[in-house]
Amino acid sequence: MALPSGSVSFNTLKRGLISGLDVTWQLAKIMVPVYFIVTFLKHTPIIGLVAKLFAPLMGVFGLPGEAAIVLVLGNLVNLYAAVGAIVSLSLSLKEIAILAIMLSFCHSLPVETALAKKIGLSAVSVIAVRIGLAILSGIAFNFLL
Amino acid sequence: MLEALKEAAVGSVMSVKQIAIIVIPIMVAMEFLKDMGILDRIADLLSPLVRVLGMRKESAFALVIGIIIGLSYGAGVILREAKENQLSKKDLYLITYFLVAAHAVFEDTAIFAALGVSAALLLSTRLLVAAMFTFLASKLIKEEIEKEVNL
Repeated sequence: MALPSGSVSFNTLKRGLISGLDVTWQLAKIMVPVYFIVTFLKHTPIIGLVAKLFAPLMGVFGLPGEAAIVLVLGNLVNLYAAVGAIVSLSLSLKEIAILAIMLSFCHSLPVETALAKKIGLSAVSVIAVRIGLAILSGIAFNFLL
Repeated sequence: MLEALKEAAVGSVMSVKQIAIIVIPIMVAMEFLKDMGILDRIADLLSPLVRVLGMRKESAFALVIGIIIGLSYGAGVILREAKENQLSKKDLYLITYFLVAAHAVFEDTAIFAALGVSAALLLSTRLLVAAMFTFLASKLIKEEIEKEVNL
């Protein structure tokens, strides 16, 4: 196996810190610009238009219309972009929990679908399964929480 | 306008800090788990369980690595394990279906937990649903696939 086992050393801590800082950096790099853009949109009429347009669809999951921005960013870019949008919009804890479970099942579709294809699954079925799980879990969380 | 800039600058920096405080310790803990050989032990413990999901027990290692470390590293391990341990196509498909629904679970959960969502709720829902879906898929995927092992 590729993983060394049974040997904890200073290197373990070092690798952990590096990977933790790496995640934080990857996150900051995407989250900060998204935060600026969404905050800017909040001061324009655009956010109101988006909210109105997507309110019926997002209502199925108990989410406000502007939450569509979070789902679109999470699926087309990655979770970090989605988190940037979540923290800049003012959402309730329940709304964040619903978005979190939906995004957990379905995110970063371009990159991750390519990986699944490499292993041999069809892109269409992988995307269908993931979107299906996201929709069901979103409805369930809205109902149960 | 200036106010919006200030709001975004302060808000985004605070959010990154809030997430770093949670994510960095979790990533450190994960490296310790790896080096203490606990990942291998978890894989051993889970090997009877993966049979319930319709896979051979040799699938456990690739599955555990993918669940904990992530899809991009997981994909490499899966392909290598498939060659070394002669996993069937059915095993491969089931592992991948499980993993597209639940991978890198600690990192993802840590990020949302930093926003205040219950980590236990997210983690258990995700693993349970992925397991249920994989079980369902194992019943649906045709047995013929099981015989092909030409990678």
